[in-house]
Amino acid sequence: MRKYVIMLVCLAFPSIPQARQNEIHINAKTHTFPNGLELVVVERHWSPTASFIVRFKVGSADERPGITGSAHLLEHMLFKGTETLGTTNYAAEVPLMARIDTLAHELTQAIDRARGPLYRGDTREVDSLKAAIAKLQEQQRQYVVKDELWETLLRHGGTFLNASTGNDGTQYFVSLPSNKAELWAFMESDRMREPILREFYSERDVVYEERRLRTDNDPFGKLWEQLYAAAYTAHPYGWPVLGWASDLETVLREEVEVFFHQYYSPNNVVIAIVGDVKFEDTVKLIDKYFGSIPPSVIPPPAVQTVEPEQNGERRISVEYDAEPQLAIAWKSPAGGGVDKEVFDVIASLLSRGRTSRLYKSLVEERQIAASVSASSDFTRFPELFTISATPKAPHTSEELEAAIYEEMGKLALDGPTTWELERVRNQIEADFVRGLQSNFGMMFRVSDMQALVGDWSYIEKVNERRKAVNAADIKRVMAEYLTKEKRTVAYLVKPEEKIPVPQAAHMNEFKQGRAK
Amino acid sequence: MKKALISVLGPVIILAFTYSFASDLISPGAKIIENMKFPELNWQVPEVGKQVTRTVLPKGLILYLMEDHELPLVNANVMIRAGSIYDSRDRMAVAGITGTVMRTGGTKSFSPDSLNTLLEFISGSVECDISTEVGSASMSVMAKDLDIGLKILYEVLRYPKFDTAKINLEKSQIRDGIRRRNDRPGRIIGREFSHLIYGDHPYGRILEWSDVMNISRDDLVAYHEKYYHPNNIMIAFSGDFDTKSLLKKVKNIFGDWPIAEIVFPPMPEVEYKAKPGVFVINKNLTQANITVGCLGIKRDNPYRYAIALMNFTLGGGSFTSRLTGRVRSDEGLAYSVGSSFGTNSRDYGTFQAHAQTKTNSTYRVLQIFKEEFEKIGRDLATEHEFETARDAYINNFVFQFDSPEEVVNRLMSLEYDNFPPDYYRKYLDNIRAVTIEDMRRVAEKYLKPAEMTIVVLADTSQISGDLRDFGQIQYMTLEEPKVD
Repeated sequence: MRKYVIMLVCLAFPSIPQARQNEIHINAKTHTFPNGLELVVVERHWSPTASFIVRFKVGSADERPGITGSAHLLEHMLFKGTETLGTTNYAAEVPLMARIDTLAHELTQAIDRARGPLYRGDTREVDSLKAAIAKLQEQQRQYVVKDELWETLLRHGGTFLNASTGNDGTQYFVSLPSNKAELWAFMESDRMREPILREFYSERDVVYEERRLRTDNDPFGKLWEQLYAAAYTAHPYGWPVLGWASDLETVLREEVEVFFHQYYSPNNVVIAIVGDVKFEDTVKLIDKYFGSIPPSVIPPPAVQTVEPEQNGERRISVEYDAEPQLAIAWKSPAGGGVDKEVFDVIASLLSRGRTSRLYKSLVEERQIAASVSASSDFTRFPELFTISATPKAPHTSEELEAAIYEEMGKLALDGPTTWELERVRNQIEADFVRGLQSNFGMMFRVSDMQALVGDWSYIEKVNERRKAVNAADIKRVMAEYLTKEKRTVAYLVKPEEKIPVPQAAHMNEFKQGRAK
Repeated sequence: MKKALISVLGPVIILAFTYSFASDLISPGAKIIENMKFPELNWQVPEVGKQVTRTVLPKGLILYLMEDHELPLVNANVMIRAGSIYDSRDRMAVAGITGTVMRTGGTKSFSPDSLNTLLEFISGSVECDISTEVGSASMSVMAKDLDIGLKILYEVLRYPKFDTAKINLEKSQIRDGIRRRNDRPGRIIGREFSHLIYGDHPYGRILEWSDVMNISRDDLVAYHEKYYHPNNIMIAFSGDFDTKSLLKKVKNIFGDWPIAEIVFPPMPEVEYKAKPGVFVINKNLTQANITVGCLGIKRDNPYRYAIALMNFTLGGGSFTSRLTGRVRSDEGLAYSVGSSFGTNSRDYGTFQAHAQTKTNSTYRVLQIFKEEFEKIGRDLATEHEFETARDAYINNFVFQFDSPEEVVNRLMSLEYDNFPPDYYRKYLDNIRAVTIEDMRRVAEKYLKPAEMTIVVLADTSQISGDLRDFGQIQYMTLEEPKVD
């Protein structure tokens, strides 16, 4: 009595080693509501559970210098509640938040002054304002119901509950027992309508800690941030999703609120639900809770900046106390753009699996790399095609970089073998099928494509285009795009001289232990 | 028999729970949710003999099978009773290398390259691993490739060739990993905490290049020969197959693999002893990495349910927990903060609370941790906290079985770990039996601030406040790994 997510159509490919045998389609249904909100539903009834996602078509690429990190900050802030949730007395919070906002304004100015010539390094004003804000936040806390949305979803069985932000989108997701669909709709619609950015300034500190964790104290995070910053000179993909540290110190609640009202309206949203739900009931449920949220009067602004063509190799090094790493990047087309699928196939030829060119040659045979990975992502604007690699001592980043170009040169000159191309095509098909195994995975795929292209079924079309890539395409694209003058190369290197770190006075007396 | 089981359990009905705290502390939204009516969720824990087939082949190979015809895929997961737990300190790397090279080093009929080309061409996979307490393998193929998948799985398990070049490759990969082990703060603190708690017990010992360099092909052959026999193996199949015909295939392929007697060396026991102190490791970072913890329980501990709920309230329930609420949400001191209390480890597992915070907040975070450890063992949790933890465990239980692969793997693991077969049937009743007082009692019993091991990895010159307030300080230096 199972309903099928997919339809099986038998084609006439008889036996091994022909991988293509069945053609499988996602059985999704869509509905667009009068306020512009798009819904994608895939019914699957094996387990009485479902996965839910709200995807806002806004990410860090929509920010501007000065407020970088705002989309990601909002990802955090939308868990802080509304007038309905997260508070026992919203009216009492309003004047406190107004006072906090005033002090935060002053704080931003004080930080500017402390960065300037007259007050250089004098942090007294900054510190006293921070203390005053902390005090008011503490007062506000008496009215706050901590993380109520999160807690309620967890209590009702929420699993994989989280949110994420990228260059192109911000998504909130959870899997729930399917009888809790209405609870989800109530809370998601409530915060889409009008979130209250309470506890903004303590959350801004949390995000600053996230930056320390993911970027400042992680060698690969640090290398990656600098690679992007060097590869893009104008386009917003060049700044980090987490935002620059200085922006996180000064961005104001009002600025983020303005950003919210520009981009976070139902006309800029895709909802996808995959699992034990019925399409007709789901349309009614979404209409009941989200249908009355007004669309924005002005459509969300488009990103106007186009990255200019790169006319010469860029090389950077990033100092960090860790073993060396290497990343190389070339500009590649946006998702769905001309030649984009060729890059996807090149990435697979180079580094997918133990038979791939870079793995086999550099990791297995020559053993100059501990690992190597090429990647091509489906994005809104032209993205970086990247190769990241870890040299294996005593081999250096220089040796490894040269060896990567050598292997790429062979592929560009001779093209892939028939076997290699067939391997990639078989994997494209099998990946697609494996991607349908979990509600959660499918939810991401359909919502991603619906948001980026406006058509979830492009998942299937892009696979057809990938399978059509031939050897001549590979040779042409490698010669045209993956050239020296269009690449950015980043090395992680050890600091030239280690600065000794003095030990705190109270630690002098302690026994000398040993750690590795 | 089956009927009796049903009447004991009945269908698991997951109801809406209502909040019961004072109305003046409730948000307007919570009142709306309180009045929502959720339909009942009719669902039963999948069981052997019903949705799942369990069978034992004549040579002792145990099979779990569950059909699922939605997608043309077949997945298999294999468990072998093996692990580095049986080996002495100087032999600790043998198990792991054996596990890797069983797959990468080719088999009787397939060279290493031909295994790779064959599998990648059909976009299938067969992988192997041996960790501390389990050997494992997996297979995933399109349904039409099941025969070749089974053949490869069998060859890899029974006839690995252990090609010397692949042994050397794996050893040099391990060496590079050792060289890089101080690159990331998270890796350093995890390793050092375990080593402080467990010393050279297999749960805590640190792999050195000197443990790896002299391992030979003979070591791997002998290791494989010792543990890989059908009477020591379980396989869980799920996906697009017909149970009868798959059983026939497995019998044909695996059937002539003879039984062998396996003598398991005694497993070293964890010494249950506190290692109190503040262990400080200096590194040039802008954020302090903090782990505070102690030995916890073995998985057969009857308090495991109370401990799970207690830890959810303390630091396991993400934003719902006290540690996250205070350190992150109230004070903005950390992005990552929380606690875990292992309840699934055969010997004593650990309780751990962790945070990453800007270096000069180290003292404050330790202070909050200490206060919360004391409080949860002293005062009863609120009714609201208790109900939130309990309801979360009850309501998300269904997700432990939300795919056929998950179902067979869980049932197989249950048998591997020697849990009673009715473990999952009784699970919800065991959660429901926990009281608020139980939560407090287990916290008091297992979380003793004075006995905790505190590890701080930070730029120590930036720490303000006297860490001696939390215990005696021992200063540790991070040594360059020896890899020559």
